[in-house]
Amino acid sequence: MKLLKLSRRAMLAAGAATALALSPLSVQAQTPEDVLIVGQIAEPKALDPAAVTAVNDFRILMNVYDGLVRYKDGTLEVEPSLATSWDISEDGTVYTFSLRDGVTFHDGSAFNADAVKFNFDRMLDENHPYHNTGPFPLSFFFSAVENVEVVDDLTVRFTLNAPYAPFLSNLAYPTGLIVSPDAVEQHGTEFGRNPSGTGAFKFAEWRSNEAVVIEANADYWDGAPELQAVVFRPITDANTRTAEMLAGGIDLMVEVPPVALSEFQGETYTVHEQAGPHVWFLILNAKEGPFADVRVRQAANYAINKEAIVNDVLEGTAAVAAGPTPPAFAWAYNESLEPYPYDPDKARELLAEAGAEGAELTFYVTEGGSGMLDPVAMGTAIQADLQAVGLTVNIETYEWNTFLGEVNPGLEGKADMAEMAWMTNDPDTLPFLALRTAAWPDQGGFNSGYYSNPKVDELLEAARAATDQAERARLYQEMQVIVQEDAPWVFVANWKQNAVTSDRVENFSLQPSFFLLLDDVVKN
Amino acid sequence: MTGYILKRLASAIPVLFGISIIVFVIMALIPGDPATAILGSYATPENVEKLNRDLGLDKPMVQRYFIWLGNMLQGDFGRSFSLNRAVLDEVLDRFGATLILAGTAFVLCSLLGIAAGVVSAARQYGLADKAITFAVLLGISIPSFFLGMMMILIFAVKLRWFPVSGMWPIYGARDLSALISHLTLPALALAVVATGVIARLSRSAMLEVLRQDFIRTARAKGVHERSVIWRHALRAAMVSIIPVLGVQAGFVLSGAVYIEMVFQWPGVGRMLVDAILKRDILLVQGGVVFVAACYVMFNIAVDVAQSLLDPRIKT
Repeated sequence: MKLLKLSRRAMLAAGAATALALSPLSVQAQTPEDVLIVGQIAEPKALDPAAVTAVNDFRILMNVYDGLVRYKDGTLEVEPSLATSWDISEDGTVYTFSLRDGVTFHDGSAFNADAVKFNFDRMLDENHPYHNTGPFPLSFFFSAVENVEVVDDLTVRFTLNAPYAPFLSNLAYPTGLIVSPDAVEQHGTEFGRNPSGTGAFKFAEWRSNEAVVIEANADYWDGAPELQAVVFRPITDANTRTAEMLAGGIDLMVEVPPVALSEFQGETYTVHEQAGPHVWFLILNAKEGPFADVRVRQAANYAINKEAIVNDVLEGTAAVAAGPTPPAFAWAYNESLEPYPYDPDKARELLAEAGAEGAELTFYVTEGGSGMLDPVAMGTAIQADLQAVGLTVNIETYEWNTFLGEVNPGLEGKADMAEMAWMTNDPDTLPFLALRTAAWPDQGGFNSGYYSNPKVDELLEAARAATDQAERARLYQEMQVIVQEDAPWVFVANWKQNAVTSDRVENFSLQPSFFLLLDDVVKN
Repeated sequence: MTGYILKRLASAIPVLFGISIIVFVIMALIPGDPATAILGSYATPENVEKLNRDLGLDKPMVQRYFIWLGNMLQGDFGRSFSLNRAVLDEVLDRFGATLILAGTAFVLCSLLGIAAGVVSAARQYGLADKAITFAVLLGISIPSFFLGMMMILIFAVKLRWFPVSGMWPIYGARDLSALISHLTLPALALAVVATGVIARLSRSAMLEVLRQDFIRTARAKGVHERSVIWRHALRAAMVSIIPVLGVQAGFVLSGAVYIEMVFQWPGVGRMLVDAILKRDILLVQGGVVFVAACYVMFNIAVDVAQSLLDPRIKT
């Protein structure tokens, strides 16, 4: 009896203590005014634009730094930023930039031609005293740069070893953002945690695994931002990120999982969507097996119900892809391209013609990975569609890094098809690295399905050398028609990036570049 | 006693050495290398090779192992490339957070589990025993990450009693009450399963002790029942409960991985999961060796505690 009394007493005491401890916590602080709290998908690696590769890190960097050029609002076309204008030599190998006058880095040092040269030499020259602040995994974006010369304080000249049209849009990419040489010299390998740029916000604080805080740069050359500060919180678990948004712990959430979108219907939240430079496709092994026949590759494009994948599996978070170039590259996209319609009868017909009825296929599927959306569910839907037209599909599933290790060296002798997705900043990148004959895996490219068409090779080489945008556009548009007809891939989806904001946030819009630009955002 | 402790400490050395080899070999053999993970879409053989060289991964495996081991023995765990930070700084930061979470959960589950087990045993087949047994089975059966998500939905999203995630508020004081409000849900979610296990084993340990002669003697001598149970019987039962606590401490530490993911607790478990996915070799190796060393030390402490309680064990 005594025993029970004791435990009762203990429980009462414990209960009272808990209630006491909890009561003041029931009211949770609202997030402060003029401070935007962003739910990110991971802890950034570093705030050094030359050293990072993840979109997650770019979201912070684009607000702290500027490049020589940037993407025009809502497009993937470049416009002046830290460079006010530029000249391109006749042969496309010399770019001369005039720099903006009177710009200073957050640490007070001046932005000038020397600073620009320092940035590119640090990345590209192995003997540069600060090359050891790397590694710089994406420095090959600028591998065409032979040298950078300071012409005068506000003029800088880049000489390329060959004409390379994507150069300007690579400068608009985060890898081309300009950092303060003084800050690099001062902090060395710790620069990534003590960043200094010229952007709308300056770095304030990085609390490991908790938050990165940036504050308004009142002297920003393009007008001071509306917000006082932005806090980026790493919340890797998508369900937890959703819960934080619902509980008011964050004001803006990126990469909302499709299944959670329904939680954000109604007045309190705004869902933003923006198609980006992303394409999700199936690599088909054109070297051997059934897909060596173009009719079978086309049959696969007809047999797969892309509408259903996009609407039912991805809940409308993607659009059906028509060809190898995402429509987000508006200037280079061929508007006349229509996606392969869902037509199982046509697929059966083509299979019969090619004598490939009942063929057995090995299909590499990944569990998840950068830009891969919902690869297992999508793979299963694709398998079912192909089975419906009489093909036997055996799925093999791999973890992402293992998957890349299997797919990138080529599918020969292993598989007939594999899932893949790319996100790029220039219409050149993906086809140049993954569709040319010279990009077969044994030559160091990503053409894992061994597609080869001399005409496509020619068009892509010419587009890379052309400096006139209209001419480049024409070449890419011609390439898209041929590639769609040749069907080296099944073109499946273009991902629409999404974000949710609370009703306190105004003037926010997503960019096709997938960067997060916050200098005009207002929070009430 | 000192000799016993030294002997146990010496026996830990080959264990840790073995762990360092195992984790090194596993990280070397799993498919996918850090350069591919970093470069993602851009992992051309050429880029991969260059980056591997920059990361110092182009040397033979055996040589890499001894470089790593040698550096580690001098206290240098290397640099994490995915976080661009010294491994030891990161691990210590993270381990502090995990200790707070796992430590709280461990204290909770030990106290609640032993108390529930003792009450259960003292009232065998009584109402309290049945109620506790039912609650314990329920607790053991719910996966902790699911429980965690449900707790977030109910107590953080709907009722807003607690914050959803993290360890500290983004704004405001970093004081004890802020920590407690962030800690409550994850610590409870983490403690539930272990509480159940400890309660079950405490109950059977107590039942066994309560049947022994010295308990009958104590009762016959008129010792107060409360004192019989909590002083005499529990002390004797602790000899078999303490090793269970040692095992459960390991369980709580490993269970913290899920809980840290769900609650975004900045602990070492979440760090290791992220590091494995990014193939951040040095961070995984350093983290695993560090956690293993702590676990080994904890078990030595458990053994020593046990030998203090029961001198027969010290052999």
